[in-house]
Amino acid sequence: MSSSRSRDESLDLSIADQLDDEIASLLAQVESLKKELKIQTSTLMVSEPTRKLLQDRSQKRTVNSLDSGPVAELLKKSDEQVAHQQQCLYRSCASITALKIRDPDPNAVDGGNVLGLRFEVMSKARFVRPYYVMLNRPYPNSRHLRVHRHTVPPCVPLAGLAARHLPAPKPKGGGANDDDDGEFQQEQDLARFARALRRELVRYQNRIGIVGDLHNAVELKNSQASEVLDDDTIVIQTISPADTEAKQISVEWSDGKAGRLIIDDDGKIVKMAVQGGQGQDRGAARDLIGGYMHIEELMGRLEGT
Amino acid sequence: MARLSVPTTARLPSSLPVETSNSAVVKLLNRLSRPSLLSMVLDWLDPTNQSMCPPLLQGRDDDDDDFYPPAGSLEELRDIYSDMQQRKGSKREVVDRIVEGDWRNGVTLYQLAMADIQYLYDHPGSLKWTAYKIQRLKTPSSEDGAEGPQKLDKECLAIPRFHPSTFVQNLQAEVLPDVKAHYNLDRPEGMPLWLLRIFILDSPYNTGLAVSNRIGERAATSFDASRTVYIAFPRRLAARLPSTGATTTGESKSLRALIVEGIPKAMSRPRERYALRPAHLSTRNLAELLHVKGAGRTNAAGGGWSIYASENQRTDSPLNPVLPTPPLSDEDATEGLAGGARKKRALSTKTTHDKYQQEAKRARLVAQARFGDSAKADDGKGIERVDILVEDPFAAVTGERRGGGDAEDVGEDDDTSSQQHKRTKGRRSGVDLAFERGQDGDEDDGGDARDWKPQVRLTFHGSHVFAGIRQLVEAGIVDGERMPGWMTGEEGVTIGAVRHGRIRGYKGSGL
Repeated sequence: MSSSRSRDESLDLSIADQLDDEIASLLAQVESLKKELKIQTSTLMVSEPTRKLLQDRSQKRTVNSLDSGPVAELLKKSDEQVAHQQQCLYRSCASITALKIRDPDPNAVDGGNVLGLRFEVMSKARFVRPYYVMLNRPYPNSRHLRVHRHTVPPCVPLAGLAARHLPAPKPKGGGANDDDDGEFQQEQDLARFARALRRELVRYQNRIGIVGDLHNAVELKNSQASEVLDDDTIVIQTISPADTEAKQISVEWSDGKAGRLIIDDDGKIVKMAVQGGQGQDRGAARDLIGGYMHIEELMGRLEGT
Repeated sequence: MARLSVPTTARLPSSLPVETSNSAVVKLLNRLSRPSLLSMVLDWLDPTNQSMCPPLLQGRDDDDDDFYPPAGSLEELRDIYSDMQQRKGSKREVVDRIVEGDWRNGVTLYQLAMADIQYLYDHPGSLKWTAYKIQRLKTPSSEDGAEGPQKLDKECLAIPRFHPSTFVQNLQAEVLPDVKAHYNLDRPEGMPLWLLRIFILDSPYNTGLAVSNRIGERAATSFDASRTVYIAFPRRLAARLPSTGATTTGESKSLRALIVEGIPKAMSRPRERYALRPAHLSTRNLAELLHVKGAGRTNAAGGGWSIYASENQRTDSPLNPVLPTPPLSDEDATEGLAGGARKKRALSTKTTHDKYQQEAKRARLVAQARFGDSAKADDGKGIERVDILVEDPFAAVTGERRGGGDAEDVGEDDDTSSQQHKRTKGRRSGVDLAFERGQDGDEDDGGDARDWKPQVRLTFHGSHVFAGIRQLVEAGIVDGERMPGWMTGEEGVTIGAVRHGRIRGYKGSGL
């Protein structure tokens, strides 16, 4: 009796599980359909025939009656969609775009007007979340800009770049006591600032990307080779970034050797040192990077051999 | 133990045993809970750790009436402790076994460091952390320049790099010869941090003499006079070694000053000098510190600006053709689908209720606009105390005055547990000092001397100050639109002076 009841229960349970699974899959389907609907709508909204149709209709409507109704609404949506499309086009092609932001703080300087710069950076064939730099004008009686907020990681020298290209205006009169180079008023150059910052961001992202690729390549190779090779062969075990800027890369071999590879901003190999059991192991360093100038060439080697 | 004890400048070795009769040892062990104590002991018994924490094993002349007979081998000992892990029992039993049994000859400094750090992990709020900013100094161009005050190199593009072992070595060189320090570096799990524990003893020796309490009266006090300082360096999640945006230290005042002076010197190299500057941020919550001074994007985009920094927005790619709903209307869209029926009913009922609902919703939206994704009560990034000094003239701008008045109310309502408008004398002096220091470096665009400027000082106190303010905004008690910006926590400071409704000197936060 008890056994049959437990079987019933397990049957009930399995049915419940099945239903739960079904519900989950249906919900997922609903989500994906909704997404598709959105994409299709956005495509339809900007297509030329649709817009023409809507414009004709709305013109007719305004002639005939006062209230515009759903057609005008649709037209408005369509206009928004077109504007968005254009913005996306600019963003994906120009990589630095400006936007207007309002500071929510009621006491914000300059009436809360904030100029945002948006930096699009590509990594691994997709756009990463853009970096933003917000600038405002806190100085009285001057149009000089200053970095207000930003989302740039601290390993990109934003402060240094801002001090170089967006120097603060010198206060009139006796302001020369703290800076000895303050004889003339330096001009701010927003374009140069943006260019320099974008360069740093792209370099940073590229370095991160290539080190990540190296890391993955080594892991993949090791997992493939683990069955084939015997334990005596010395292989590179891990490659990982050794600092936040990803300018130093640490390399570890399976026999306990540890190396440090230093690259410059652009990924050119500067130096490599390997520490083995008996002091420095120049041979291992030579074997790894011999003759290569750029970190990307290393990639081909790791994948090839 | 070395036979000779000569005064030296070397650091204390990790394997230096401290006698278990020392009350500090028992106190340290007793602070831990039973499970973490046992897992730590099993760590000690790992074969790789044997040079650092060797237990007493059988072999020599053993008494039969020993209460804790020494185990025959490491495995046996490990079995005993894993056995203890399985069954229930008191913490006392474990501590006794460690102190009187397996480590009766002494617990090493390394073991003590582990116990201390374990306590820190178990009680993350037990220490107060202060953030510092590492800044590059200008290399003086001439001999005369080297004598003068140090200048910050604002145009420098290099990022200071933190290399743990070099750093510890250099720091040791900065420590005075009559103090001995023990360093222990740790990487806490789940936090992108390097945690350096510095344990300091007042003793010229680096042998057992430094920690023994048997020889003489003077030496007996040395262990009690010991100090512990923690330094944390942010580290990237994926990276193994960090560079830094901030440094933090915890505990003990006079000594902290010494260490804080030593840190920039230890970071510096020939022709590359650094200085530490206080970041006006101190909290017990390491997670919040990492959020504001870590290696990510969130450092200079707090409060409402956090929507630009949050990683979880998928719709931000320029290749996404779908028209993005503005961040505030996302909620509406889902609500409109789910609660359609509810809305209809609401329309048909009384208008007062409807109005109330609209207001509540509006307050929620305003809170979302001002705080973004930050300051949620359950995000575990609570700051427990914020000090604000308002320097604005009293009657000049009524809006600002009103804002200040509101804030005071908030302080009192915020957390009934511990708020009572601080009048503690000891704390105040520290706060005053920080305010004065903050005023030195700032530009002085002081207004009219005729204005009446009362000293208004606000202290927010609670488990998560900014989440409390957010809840008040959501509840409609604080007017979210007229609330000054520093009440959202977007400046990332816990102490600051407010002028013209803004925190002074932090207009370009993160620079």
